[in-house]
Amino acid sequence: MTSTPYSQLRSRGDTPVLPPPLVYKIRDAQPTLEPEPVTHGWKAGLPIAIDLGSYQTRIGYTSSDLPSHIFPTLSSKLRDRKISKTYHLVGNDIYLDNAARQTARSPFDGNILANWDLVENILDYSFSKIDVQSIDRVDNPIVINEAVGSLFSQRKNLQELLYECYNVPSASVGIDSMFSFYKNGGRNGLVISSGHEASYVIPVYNGKGIFSKSKRIDWGGHQSSQFMMDLLGMKYPTFPSKLNQAQSTFLVQDHCYMSTDYKEELNHFLDFDGLETRERVVEAPYTEVVANQKSEEELAKIAERRKESGKRLQEQAAKMRSEKLAQKESELIYYKELKERVAELLTKRDQQHLLETEGFDDERALLRTINDLEKSIKRSRKDDDGDENESVEVEVPTFPLLDIDDSELDAEQIKAKRHQKLLKANWEARQRFNEEKKLEKLKKQEEERKEKEWREDNLSSWIEDKRGKLNNLLQKKRDRQKLKEELSNRKSLASQMRMKSIASLAAETKGSKRRRANGGGSGSGGSAGSSANGATGDVDPDDTFGADDGDWSIYRDIVNVIDSEAEEEERQEIEMLENSLLEFDPDFSIEDTLEAEMDWRKSTIHMFLRGPREFDPLSQAHSYRMHLNVERIRVPEVLFQPTIAGIDQAGITEVSRMILLERLNADTRSSISKKIFLTGGQTLFPQFDQRVRSEFTSILPTGAEFNVTRANDPLLDAWKGMAKWANAEESKDSFLTKSEWHEMGPDYIKEHQFTVQ
Amino acid sequence: MSLVNADLSRINKCFKSPSWKPSAASRRNKNAKALLAEEQKVLAERQQQNGSSNKNFMDAANYFNLEAPPSLVPRKWYCDITGLEGKYRSVGSGLRYHDKEVYAVIKTLAPGVDQQYLELRHANVILR
Repeated sequence: MTSTPYSQLRSRGDTPVLPPPLVYKIRDAQPTLEPEPVTHGWKAGLPIAIDLGSYQTRIGYTSSDLPSHIFPTLSSKLRDRKISKTYHLVGNDIYLDNAARQTARSPFDGNILANWDLVENILDYSFSKIDVQSIDRVDNPIVINEAVGSLFSQRKNLQELLYECYNVPSASVGIDSMFSFYKNGGRNGLVISSGHEASYVIPVYNGKGIFSKSKRIDWGGHQSSQFMMDLLGMKYPTFPSKLNQAQSTFLVQDHCYMSTDYKEELNHFLDFDGLETRERVVEAPYTEVVANQKSEEELAKIAERRKESGKRLQEQAAKMRSEKLAQKESELIYYKELKERVAELLTKRDQQHLLETEGFDDERALLRTINDLEKSIKRSRKDDDGDENESVEVEVPTFPLLDIDDSELDAEQIKAKRHQKLLKANWEARQRFNEEKKLEKLKKQEEERKEKEWREDNLSSWIEDKRGKLNNLLQKKRDRQKLKEELSNRKSLASQMRMKSIASLAAETKGSKRRRANGGGSGSGGSAGSSANGATGDVDPDDTFGADDGDWSIYRDIVNVIDSEAEEEERQEIEMLENSLLEFDPDFSIEDTLEAEMDWRKSTIHMFLRGPREFDPLSQAHSYRMHLNVERIRVPEVLFQPTIAGIDQAGITEVSRMILLERLNADTRSSISKKIFLTGGQTLFPQFDQRVRSEFTSILPTGAEFNVTRANDPLLDAWKGMAKWANAEESKDSFLTKSEWHEMGPDYIKEHQFTVQ
Repeated sequence: MSLVNADLSRINKCFKSPSWKPSAASRRNKNAKALLAEEQKVLAERQQQNGSSNKNFMDAANYFNLEAPPSLVPRKWYCDITGLEGKYRSVGSGLRYHDKEVYAVIKTLAPGVDQQYLELRHANVILR
């Protein structure tokens, strides 16, 4: 009966050849070749809008529809050691140089502006890119954003920079998400703004933000991409290339989406069916290693050579094995004779003398040697068992010299006789061996016959027996696994038992040593037996260790290694049982085999790590692939369940519910809850609005009408709103002039509809 | 060459005030933690100035009272390894897991990896 691998059985017929999977390349920030161009068109008095965000900075004259420059809020100081020059690169220019990208720093620490040197760099860069031409001053009103609840020191530093460093005539500060709402024509509504470093929920009434009732959740795009990076790092700890922050950000942007029903979707995300459409396979860039292609002829030659040398080696090994076996057999015979000879001797002293001349300490040592030999012969015969083409010697060799007495032979002949004696023993051993093999074969046939009879007689009892045996083996396997696990825990019972055995073994050795030392000291033992005792040290009349073969297993137990040979044997036995059950037991299907149980198709972990296809560990392409599945919804979900990422804050839904139902009075609530407005980069996740809709349906009174709208452009609408507002009549009185600033002192601002307090 | 053209220190910045010198206080590099501590001090001072009776000031949004409060709904647990529903908790490490297959993986994790998984949700043990 040949064993067929489970995968082959399974794939027979029912698995069509799969098309190659859809693999996405992991995007990375692209290097640029030229510095950021300069935009002309400066005019004195033309307001400039600056959206200084923690992700990107957008800047431009309010006369245009779009910001003329959009760049990451990063600044990099790069030192070229070769020519000892330092470059200050800002914004998009950091992509000119790989090293600059690596050392780029953000002025933000979390959502707080912390490094004002970098802020100054970024403003310098901004004003130079829009080609401000006034001398010693930026002769334009400025509209700039700040975060809700930004620090007093931040406002102070920003004003100092604007009025002292750039000498701006007037400036106004506002909340970016308010400008975005304004741009989208909102008057009343709940603004959910999810940016790069934090997310905000802000109720707006009559166009004015109610900031005292607003809340911030400390989770944004930056945290998302960091979370994604950490998750993938844990998922693929041996991934050959390292993911950088930019790549991780792109992964989040390109492949994540908001689940509309997280619990339900999660329950079936890793199901085999349809996983291919749910998951995204992404591939890191790598250079393919092409193995040297050899021609068919060469390959055939190599195979031939290998086969030949293998054959030769096999032959040599077989020859050596049989020689060794023969030697062992003759030794065994010799020692058996010796045993008889010893038994014939009458006095103990003579016996001992004979044993010692033969190199044994006492009779037990001899017995042990015989025992060992018998065992090893048995073992090597078992190995040779499969060797069917063992030639059977038909011819009986003759050994003429053996029948002649030594006295009639000269020295030469005596030597020859000794040789013949060995040969004879060898031959006899072989005969015996063949005999035994035949017997074994007969026995096997007999067994098979019996099995068959049994099966035909009483199939159910046969099946019962086989299943019982199989279950026993499987149980043993499980037990061993369990023991292994327990041993890895220092405090487990199994580990403690092991330590106990070690301790007791150590104690025994010590005890016997002491006893021996005492015996020598008293000088009472003068017999040959006692001297032998002293020489070997392991013969103690009370010590029966080793009399039973099982005693030795204690060493196996304490050494704590897996017996791979025994395991392999067991595995074969299981396979054999399974195969016969497969053949004759109608209730035992391929699905019940051990191999089927271990099949990757059933493994959630495999689905999680490698998707719905087989993984080839040798394939370079496979090892450079990551499978995004649960992560696709897990990362955005943090906004609704911050505890997923260990943030001890309520999610968007709960915060909104609290604001709407507990902190606002009924009148304002009813007008605010009619419009839910989404802005900020994180709300770009697909289905974000659907999710918000379903969440708000659950928290608002039944039948309450509301609509959820996303900003036209969640990233740029803040800037556009600033530009629109700066040109509108309503902003006329909202700019704080330099002289007013001098008068009112630091961190005073002119209140308007988009400012805090 | 393009690096030289892009270098900010070489770019003409005629719009800057020549007499500009940042005040020392604004340029001392402080991290967010230090800045927040400072802010708390400022807030306390102003509160004293305005008197605690000034309701307006107490109600105004600041960095600290803006923070979303902890959630009050029962927390849902997710498998730390796969992200699936995590009904069970491993006794030894405290990791959440989805089923027995994931548990088998948890048991074979190298020492320290369980803490790395816990760190993803800030539940790791921090030794000080």
